[in-house]
Amino acid sequence: MTETNKQVPVTVLTGFLGAGKTTLLNRILTEQHGQKYAVIVNEFGEQGIDNDLVVDADEEVFEMNNGCICCTVRGDLIRILSGLMKRADKLDAIIVETTGLADPAPVAQTFFVDQDVANKTKLDAIVTVADAVHLSSQIEDHHEAEEQIAFGDVILLNKIDLVKDENIEVVTKRIRKINPFAKIIKTTKCGAPLKEILNLDAFNLKRILEVEPDFLVSDHDHEHDDDVTSLSFVSDTPLDMEKFQNWFEKLLQTKGQDIMRTKGILDFKGENDRYVFQGVHMLMDASPMGKWPENKERSSRLVFIGRNLDTMNLKEGFEACKSE
Amino acid sequence: MTTDLNQFPQLDKTKFEQRGIQLEIGVPVTCTVSIGNNIAAGFGDGTIRIFSSGEKHKTLKVHKGVILCMAKDGDNILTGGDDGYFLKISLNGEINEITNFGSRWVDHVAAHNGNLVCSSGKVVYYWDKNKKEPKSLNHDSTIGGLVFDAKGRRLAVSRYGGVTIWKKDYSNKWKSTKLDWKGSHNKVSFSPDGKYLVTSMQENVLRCWRLKDKLDFAMSGYGSKVKSFAFIGDTSYLATSGSTDAICWPFDGEGPMGRKPICLPYIGNKQVTFIEPFPDEKAIFAGLSDGSVFLSQIENENNTIIIRSFTGSEVSAIAMTDDKSSIFIGDMNGNTLWTSIWDQ
Repeated sequence: MTETNKQVPVTVLTGFLGAGKTTLLNRILTEQHGQKYAVIVNEFGEQGIDNDLVVDADEEVFEMNNGCICCTVRGDLIRILSGLMKRADKLDAIIVETTGLADPAPVAQTFFVDQDVANKTKLDAIVTVADAVHLSSQIEDHHEAEEQIAFGDVILLNKIDLVKDENIEVVTKRIRKINPFAKIIKTTKCGAPLKEILNLDAFNLKRILEVEPDFLVSDHDHEHDDDVTSLSFVSDTPLDMEKFQNWFEKLLQTKGQDIMRTKGILDFKGENDRYVFQGVHMLMDASPMGKWPENKERSSRLVFIGRNLDTMNLKEGFEACKSE
Repeated sequence: MTTDLNQFPQLDKTKFEQRGIQLEIGVPVTCTVSIGNNIAAGFGDGTIRIFSSGEKHKTLKVHKGVILCMAKDGDNILTGGDDGYFLKISLNGEINEITNFGSRWVDHVAAHNGNLVCSSGKVVYYWDKNKKEPKSLNHDSTIGGLVFDAKGRRLAVSRYGGVTIWKKDYSNKWKSTKLDWKGSHNKVSFSPDGKYLVTSMQENVLRCWRLKDKLDFAMSGYGSKVKSFAFIGDTSYLATSGSTDAICWPFDGEGPMGRKPICLPYIGNKQVTFIEPFPDEKAIFAGLSDGSVFLSQIENENNTIIIRSFTGSEVSAIAMTDDKSSIFIGDMNGNTLWTSIWDQ
């Protein structure tokens, strides 16, 4: 991704029906004075959005012909974002509201796959609005609700005024089990400070170093087979770069459909730089990110979010990458 | 044409820039159309500018937002915008609204012999010149491009999963046939002889069908998306953007299958982003990602001259007047050049 300073940030608002996406959207639009936003909504979405520039989208997903079966992208977003980039007035930000049943992966993958989109815009963060009253049952009944939690960089646990404290605790734990790196903000009527929702730069690799996910969450109770869970690994022994690349490449190629998100900071033997990466299904963005801080212990840390993680021999695979 | 390759790095302004008119509009040039000896250019702020030789250009504000597409209908300009309007504009600036889709964009327009089409989302609207109300042609997914064949009998519509070809049967009913290939198809074009159909795809590749037997094949090897392509002359070459060279596929004889394209290289390793054919000279104008524009003879790669030097912004439009006397160039920052091609 080039021309970082010119890229327009795109915030994706996702969340199950009735969770409060439109409430949040209207708060952003009314409270951010003097900012020029484009809002991309689905025609079947909730109505009543107060903005000059609202674009109807179709949520059309198609598969890329790149030999990668889970690499689906939002074709309508490519078209709309390239159209918006031709406007005379420069946009401060773009907000994409997805329908309640949308899978966020194709939205995120669009920013990895299309060159023009990646040059001119950047995915800022996926913000998931969750209904504290209904989230637990929605997760049980609809895989989409689970996916939206899995992909969130920020999760607004909304309507907490309608839920007892101990139940908030239960829902929070449930969210953490699915997604250890999201920031959870508890709100009523989506009343979170907007600076915790906008301009987060959550997909910037540098941010992974600043906001380190909770790498030590792993408690592996056996869940239903198709539940989304997370696993994390830490190693103080440096890794062998070649071994790691071979293992990880093959892992994403064969299991990329089940692995939804990955993030990691890696310490390779013989390298002075920290290597940082993140992935959405089979697509990955990786780069050296400067030297290790001198007063800090070097270690490799890796997180997976996805389904059927316990069938992938992740622990053994990771252990085998350690240098002698 | 002369070979100026050795001198151009030292030149501040090309001779075309010296004798032409250069403007800095500051808004992307999105599309063009040539009508007689005039060029109409559409911009991202909803204006069009009409360039005619010997007079000052005219500026018309026609859309509220971006002009997304343009076509020519006789002596008129058709435009579609992100404000939902489909307009017909005469060269003297008279604006007629054909229709208005509200918040839905008009993505593509075309015309043949007075019959007009536009697409918005998944639907193509066809206005028969003798009828007031349009006929809707529905598709399962959003339309990436549309084009009439040279005789106006067939309308090809690209979309996800391939191309739909519409044709009226003997009883004047619309019939469609489908050409399928997985993925998102954008710009679509018939070869001038009507034997082939080509689309550029979301991946860095072109897909081509030989229409008599629906045999399909890919033209690949591009470093980026092929945003612009054009057939030259009577189906002798298909010139394409999407690489650091202009890639020209041979379409004579049995077509390009199993044959190598001619690659016209440009200095500086910049991507070619726009192609405009110059059939009489078997040549192409190639616009690059840094704003420079070259004219090259396809069968003589040493015969390349520079038309415009770099501006720092991707070339998004090149159009030659119908009489081949003048050329218009525009880029994503709105730097334009309007100049005569021939030395006086």
